[in-house]
Amino acid sequence: MGNCMARLKLVAALSAAVCALGVSYAQGGTVWDGVYSSEQAERGEAVYKGACIACHGQDLGGNSNSPGLVGMGFMFLWEGRTLGAFFEKIREEMPTDRPGQLPAQDYVDVVAYIMQANSFPVGDNELPYDAEILDGIAIAPKS
Amino acid sequence: MITSNAMCRGEPGKRELPRSILLSLSLTLSLIAPFASAQIESFSAVSDEMLNSPASGEWLSWRGTPAAWGYSPLDQINTENVGQLQLKWSFALDDTGAIQAAPLIHDGIMFIPSARGVIQALDAVTGDLLWEYRPAPPTEEFINSGAGTRAAVLPAGAFAGVGRGVQKNIALYGEMIYASTETASIRAIDARSGLLVWETQVADPTLGYFYTAGPIIANGTLVTGITGCDRYKDDVCFITGHDPATGEEKWRTSTVARPEDPGGDTWGDLPLRFRAGSDAWVAGSYDPQANLIYWGTAQAKPWARAVRGTDGDALYTNSTLALNPDNGEMAWYFQHIPGETQDMDEVFENILVDIDGRKSLFKMGKLGILWQLDRETGQFIKGTDIGYQNIVNLDPITGQITYRDGMIPRIGEELNMCPSTSGVKSWRAMAYSPDTSAMYIPITLNCELATFGPTERQLGGGGAGPVRRVNYHHPQSDGNLGEILALDIPSGEVKWRYRSRAPFNTAALTTAGGLVFAGDWNRTMSALDANNGELLWQVRLATSNQGFPISYSVNGKQYIAMPVGTGGASWSGSLPRELAPELSRPRNGSSINVFALPD
Ligand code: HEC
Repeated sequence: MGNCMARLKLVAALSAAVCALGVSYAQGGTVWDGVYSSEQAERGEAVYKGACIACHGQDLGGNSNSPGLVGMGFMFLWEGRTLGAFFEKIREEMPTDRPGQLPAQDYVDVVAYIMQANSFPVGDNELPYDAEILDGIAIAPKS
Repeated sequence: MITSNAMCRGEPGKRELPRSILLSLSLTLSLIAPFASAQIESFSAVSDEMLNSPASGEWLSWRGTPAAWGYSPLDQINTENVGQLQLKWSFALDDTGAIQAAPLIHDGIMFIPSARGVIQALDAVTGDLLWEYRPAPPTEEFINSGAGTRAAVLPAGAFAGVGRGVQKNIALYGEMIYASTETASIRAIDARSGLLVWETQVADPTLGYFYTAGPIIANGTLVTGITGCDRYKDDVCFITGHDPATGEEKWRTSTVARPEDPGGDTWGDLPLRFRAGSDAWVAGSYDPQANLIYWGTAQAKPWARAVRGTDGDALYTNSTLALNPDNGEMAWYFQHIPGETQDMDEVFENILVDIDGRKSLFKMGKLGILWQLDRETGQFIKGTDIGYQNIVNLDPITGQITYRDGMIPRIGEELNMCPSTSGVKSWRAMAYSPDTSAMYIPITLNCELATFGPTERQLGGGGAGPVRRVNYHHPQSDGNLGEILALDIPSGEVKWRYRSRAPFNTAALTTAGGLVFAGDWNRTMSALDANNGELLWQVRLATSNQGFPISYSVNGKQYIAMPVGTGGASWSGSLPRELAPELSRPRNGSSINVFALPD
């Protein structure tokens, strides 16, 4: 519910239509299925160092102001939601000083890097810049 | 002129520095000289007497005097003529980081800290730049050492606009400007030339330490409080005293009770490394008669008891500490909220006022309780809950706090709390006026559905802890996020409230002209009548008003200065975006804006 409401606030790119249908697009995939490639995570690391590190820290651990993006904190905040929701949070609101202003590809790449930092397995394919597919990937504990 | 010898006069600092830090320091030194533009001839050395009772037109401490009233005794600008105020000059500040500046005024010169260590000296009448101190960007090696990232140093490629590197205040003493840095060092800068005289590394930034509060001077000692104490490490948060001539550390007082110390059992059986928080991120006050400094400490980390693993009081978190500036010894402490458990900080400014001969200290934290303590003994005198919080009950006789039913968070269970973690009050310092015997308090109104989550209990882990949050408007707010609240002292009775849709985002400034100045997030700076809260004058500035407004006079003319800028506190972006989405502001435009009556 929270997801859907948050998403309804969003404009254009990832439209409300996707939100309404989000559930039916879900394909039962999870972050444990090897959803990004190591090259992509490498590109994402460069994005992270340029645009995120100053607030979220080199170890992605965050500080009193900026939440951590790894480990128990990450799972607490994101378990049960989708990679689509996570992507949208970043695409819409980060970096806080110039939200939404990185190239679209950088945003998916940085998600891949955060996946890697959380030790979710690497795979052969890249995470695409595609709301339907991202919405179909659940952030779940290892089953 | 300052020679390169003089630049090296300082002690190298007590601790062994990581090589990378030394490298970046030497680079800093080598890059300073070209930026220094002029030598100020008309500067007189600042003495303890001047600091303790400044001339009426001067502003020598971050809140005016060591008693931190935020009050100017000037009355040329007053309730009758404030409507005629006009801009005299404006000066763009560094836009590459966060601004919460508290300028100082001495001998007609404004010294102003801006982002990431930049300090400028301006002619306070014309706004001409006299000199500029601008540290070099951190080296690649420094960044890769990991030091900068936890300490909020920015990689070179990410300089523009990132909201870090706050330095709220600087101190002025002798012929020196003192600053504390985002890399956990303190600097002495020649006030006449802007050249670096010494820099001392106080703590290791790779452990997360940094400064956002600047130093104060008390009885000839330079005192600073560190922050960045949220991660687990084999060390705890502290306040230090230094020799202003050399930077040499004279004393270090932990703001956390160590296991073997008195009060050590208030953290249960947690070992030292799991005693985090108690950051000292707001500069203290000083009473020269008592020879005591008063310094606030922040909450324990992680925020929630259940996450940090103890229900104990966790001394000396969320306390006011009275320290002897000569040796750092604690004369007394008062813990405002023992075992605080949802990020309700009490670290803020300490306002020293005598009430009917009783030497008192006033303070307000995020819960919106105005505390009156006896500043000689630390004894509780009075507490006034301004009525915006739903978390604790306050015993009016003893000052003891008890949590209301169900208001101690459990991991994973949603709590409906007022205020949100933004607090009813934060670093935006209140001001006192002796003319009206009232406190003028910048208030932020909102509440939050908060769900606290766990962190890793291991070295390098910890932190504040994750919180799922949904902010909403405070039920008493009529949709307003901002308020200036005038409270009579010591009764605690409400004199008036002035509300605005946008949150107030600066300290308050009171003047003998019967005025209160403050600015909001939505670029509006206001002058209110201190007696009745009537709006007398407004102006819109380049971006969010942010920092500490001051008043001063030069050649018999009174000025009001308002800093504006962005970055800093987490909510200052998210709260207005979520709760007042029709408001927006430029992300740059940091500047200092100076007003006076027409000539
Ligand atoms: C200027 C500081 C800053 C920068 C730069 C920044 N963030 Fe953030 N970030 C924050 C703050 C503050 C929050 C918490 C407030 C909020 O959620 O809006 C946050 C929240 C987040 C969250 C949500 C955390 C949660 O789980 O609720 C994610 C994910 C995130 N940031 C990712 C990023 C990424 C990826 C980048 C780089 C592209 C980035 N941030 C850059 C400050 C920053």
